[in-house]
Amino acid sequence: MGGRASGPPPLPGAAGRVWRTLGAAFVVLVFVPPLLLLVSGSLTEPGLPPSPTPHLVPDPVSTAGYRQALEIGGLLRASLNSVLVAVVAVPLSVLVAALAGFALARLAPRTTATVVAASLVALMVPATALLVPRFAIFRALGLTDTLVPLIAPALLGTSPLYVLVYYLAFRALPRDLYDACLVEDLSPMRIWWRVALPLVRPVTAALTALTFVLTWSNFLDPLIYVYDRDLFTLPLALRSLSVLDPTNFPVFLAGAVLATAPALLVFVLAQRRFLHHDDPTGRDRP
Amino acid sequence: MLAPYLVGLVGLVLLPAAVTLALAFTEYDLVNAPSWVGLDNLVALVDDPVFRVSLTNSLVFALVAVPLRLLLALGLALLLHRRAFGVGTARAAAVLPTAVPEIAYGLLWLWLFNPLYGPINQLLRVGGENGLTALGRTPPQWLTDPTDARAAIILMSVFTMGETFVVLLAARRALPRDVYEMAALEDATGWDVFRRVTLPLMAPVLALLAVRDAIASLHFSFVPAYVVTDGGPPPYATTYLSLFIYRTGFEYLRYGYAAAATLVMILLTVAAVVVQWRLVRRYRGFYGL
Repeated sequence: MGGRASGPPPLPGAAGRVWRTLGAAFVVLVFVPPLLLLVSGSLTEPGLPPSPTPHLVPDPVSTAGYRQALEIGGLLRASLNSVLVAVVAVPLSVLVAALAGFALARLAPRTTATVVAASLVALMVPATALLVPRFAIFRALGLTDTLVPLIAPALLGTSPLYVLVYYLAFRALPRDLYDACLVEDLSPMRIWWRVALPLVRPVTAALTALTFVLTWSNFLDPLIYVYDRDLFTLPLALRSLSVLDPTNFPVFLAGAVLATAPALLVFVLAQRRFLHHDDPTGRDRP
Repeated sequence: MLAPYLVGLVGLVLLPAAVTLALAFTEYDLVNAPSWVGLDNLVALVDDPVFRVSLTNSLVFALVAVPLRLLLALGLALLLHRRAFGVGTARAAAVLPTAVPEIAYGLLWLWLFNPLYGPINQLLRVGGENGLTALGRTPPQWLTDPTDARAAIILMSVFTMGETFVVLLAARRALPRDVYEMAALEDATGWDVFRRVTLPLMAPVLALLAVRDAIASLHFSFVPAYVVTDGGPPPYATTYLSLFIYRTGFEYLRYGYAAAATLVMILLTVAAVVVQWRLVRRYRGFYGL
């Protein structure tokens, strides 16, 4: 054994902790300011000549941007549409993903392998590559300019990734459990609902949050499928607000804050589940 | 139980992919029925300067943005993988921009990048005179100079590497402890440990994420280019493949032509998937899959 190592990378003891905390502080200093600026910009008085020097706290602080955004942009109506889409799509999406994940964990290996491979391929296809053909299909079905195309991705579990996550979670449950259920003569549906689903509740919580964030933020789909102003979702209304007057930044930033807040709130509530798993059980996340 | 998902998988991914293949050889404007034009669309694409520019832009964007995103995510994962005061907050902060809705994020940067009253250039002008920076140079013209605009889009996309970071964080935490203890006994320096232990052990994950990110970059360049730079500055400095397809299809109503461009995008994706597949097979034993 040689002498004590001078500064091996898993820094020993207190010194390492101080450095790591400094690093963490630096990361926060880089990543948080843009979001602070978003809030500060939205609180600027609209119509004032822009100040030549940067301000973190606007002078005067004004909520006029929010009032104008709600009035001109029709953001209230748009929020309602967004909520409607989320209320239908999110539970549906989680159910589809959970069902499919469970089925994959119980089916014959060959079927499972095929579906998993197809899911991986679907996962790789960039969303823009499917814009034109999907539009042609929905158009042929007469479903453009409705909210249906915005809800339809729920049939994919919003992202095939979520189906695969459920698959891994259900596969990790002990086999004995399933055998016991079969002895009890439970139907697959009952096993799924009464036994398996309650055991993966943390997975469901995290995936529900992520599904909500994705659904709520969806901009591309409304952009191509919805033209009726009364059906605009929040991201789309936000876009038309910024096109209306691109120089009036407090107004569209206020709208951006309104659109960001719910997504960020849900995300912050859920992030502990995939960022803070200091126990070894969290290691096998895909 | 698999049925709803299969419907989604077939109806929303496989069928559209097949439709692309068919539409690419037709002329279709939604009003008249598609008419067969054979290879005309693909031939026209090759000659189309706008398409060539957007393809180049997309490839250059992937070549620059993907390594930067990966490097930042790796650096953050290595910095934040061990517990210390404030590390939890920093992890959340690093992922936060990824959770902001794309359009809100785009509008935020549209303001940040404003050459006159945007906070970034205001900050750069601090200490300078007559609208110059402290070094006496003109601040970047983010939205009107082609190079600066491309840099702006890349800067925006670097901040949203949250997903990659989460995966790398998990991968780093899964590495065996004893290897690092051995390295410490060998008096290895930090750089040695990184180069000879951490990097080789994480290489498979990094390679997979790089391919994944390269494909995703075809898509995530859309909203920034659409909202912040509007494909400009003129003529087409930030028109990427995704924006080209969107414009051709949904603004000029040339769906057949857009489908042909989509076909090129799908071919790029397939090439990347093949690379990825080979990587997975090579590393299969490695993870005991």
